[in-house]
Amino acid sequence: MNEPADPSTESKPGDVAFSAQEPGESNPRLQAIVFALIAWMLPGLGHLVLRRWKKAAAFFLVVVAFIVLGCLMRGDVFEPGSDDTLGTLGFFADLGSGALYFLARALELPRADLSSAAGNYGTRLIAAAGILNVLAVIDAFETAARRKFTRCA
Amino acid sequence: MRLSHLVSMTLFALLVSIAFAAIGQRALTARIRRAIWSFALFMLIAIGIAWLLFPLSP
Repeated sequence: MNEPADPSTESKPGDVAFSAQEPGESNPRLQAIVFALIAWMLPGLGHLVLRRWKKAAAFFLVVVAFIVLGCLMRGDVFEPGSDDTLGTLGFFADLGSGALYFLARALELPRADLSSAAGNYGTRLIAAAGILNVLAVIDAFETAARRKFTRCA
Repeated sequence: MRLSHLVSMTLFALLVSIAFAAIGQRALTARIRRAIWSFALFMLIAIGIAWLLFPLSP
């Protein structure tokens, strides 16, 4: 009897494969963590490495658009060491954007104007970008961990 | 750009709804449905809370 194929675990052409059973081979869980870290560093990069082109493009475009719009609306980028709990949470949310967060801080892009409603919503957009990238990281980790490790032609 | 609170909130709701629908759904019709539903809920809840808090405003 043939069992129905599980599309979430099927390998696609071009998938890189490793056998976890042979000595000296990479740990699959460690590989999934590496893919997750790559996904955090730059939005969409983890899915690009996993050859999920559409998801890579979608995550990249959405996260970058949110950050750009947030900066255009003169939102604020949270910094570490805040006395306020919400400030600390905002920092961790912003940190989810990976390299884009450090780039925004280095370039001092936002020039925040929190006196206006647009500035406040811009701040929320930048934080939402970080959270969306965290979703991308989780998705990249699950995709990498779920794949069957077979070498495809 | 200087936007009012309502316009900023609407823009935020629209962008987040589109983003979650685009990432969370596969079929185009499902994405559109999810985006519209999410946006409607965002606006309804935000305006509803605003009206609930209105009596407390100075």
